[in-house]
Amino acid sequence: MALNENEKINEIDVNELDCRDTLTFWEKFGNIFRSKSIWMLHYCTGCGAMELPPTMTSRFDMERIGMAPMATPRQADVLLITGYLSVKTLRRIIYTYEQMQNPKYVVGFGSCTLNGGVYYDSYAVISRLDYYLPVDLYIAGCMPRPEAVMSGFKKLMDMIKKGEALGWKRYQKYYDWYKKNQVRALGEVYVKDEFHE
Amino acid sequence: MNFMNNIIEDIKSRFNPENTEIVKKNQIAIDFKNEEVHSALAYLKSQGWKQLTILTCVDWIKENKFQLVYILMNWDNSITIQVRTKIDRDNPKFRTVINIYPGAEMYERDVHEFFGVEFEGNPNHEKELFLELWDDLPPMRKDFDPLAYSKKKFDVREYKVDFIPKEGEAE
Ligand code: SF4
Repeated sequence: MALNENEKINEIDVNELDCRDTLTFWEKFGNIFRSKSIWMLHYCTGCGAMELPPTMTSRFDMERIGMAPMATPRQADVLLITGYLSVKTLRRIIYTYEQMQNPKYVVGFGSCTLNGGVYYDSYAVISRLDYYLPVDLYIAGCMPRPEAVMSGFKKLMDMIKKGEALGWKRYQKYYDWYKKNQVRALGEVYVKDEFHE
Repeated sequence: MNFMNNIIEDIKSRFNPENTEIVKKNQIAIDFKNEEVHSALAYLKSQGWKQLTILTCVDWIKENKFQLVYILMNWDNSITIQVRTKIDRDNPKFRTVINIYPGAEMYERDVHEFFGVEFEGNPNHEKELFLELWDDLPPMRKDFDPLAYSKKKFDVREYKVDFIPKEGEAE
């Protein structure tokens, strides 16, 4: 059956969406494909990670929206920070983040990454994540339900598609500011590993 | 219970514990003087308490004492013994037990890090274990204020208040 004239042009109408924005055709093209296949690094730092197994397995089935877990930072696009970040872990997280390839996105998960959550007065837990790493999206809740997680991921995909998730560029641009905050909380960003010395 | 009393009697006949107590069905707590701890631990190990489950510390800030607690477990009769002793809080020092229980090395590092107790004879007791580049009072002491430390060290999120009730309005 032949398509009529209206049906032929749909969805990928990238060139005409906004003529004045600064993205080139190929950048827009790339963003669409990026948003459809996301590999996330699940460095599970806190209790919120408990909601990921139900999100990944059959009931909510994350893979159907095009996301899958990935074991190594060099192949991953999204760094999930699932909850409280202790000072010791933050040091490793920064290492991991800096190993990831551009473009890369950070998702803060749960109220601990937002404002410290129940650990707001702890000597070992940082109170907000976006001072140390550029966060693209927060998913609020303690802990967020799988529905919230799915809707957060969907939002992230939309942001990637529209080219709004630019945390990695912010990190390059304001690197000095991020580094200053990191050093202030950590002393120095250097991983000392007694067992491999 | 009878069996537990036998253990206590046996220990009383050999050492001078300050206090003995049956905590619950299979747990005994014994307070020793500082000098007796090492010989008591060695004796208990020879009697079957081969596992040092944990060494930990309690801060009795009003008495100005730290209490070291060695928890020993016997796999043959599943009886747990807490060997406890109190040391001075101002100059906390104690002799290491790694020659009796080698596994105590990590616990001693832990207690040093979180309470500041020095273990003489443990070559690694000052190495950091969890707190990298720590720069304040040991954090488990009761005179340490975690909230003040957190405020000083980490930035907090400021919230904008966008609804201020006027007089007569419900909050
Ligand atoms: S926000 Fe709640 S669930 Fe998440 S890490 Fe913090 S305490 Fe745990």
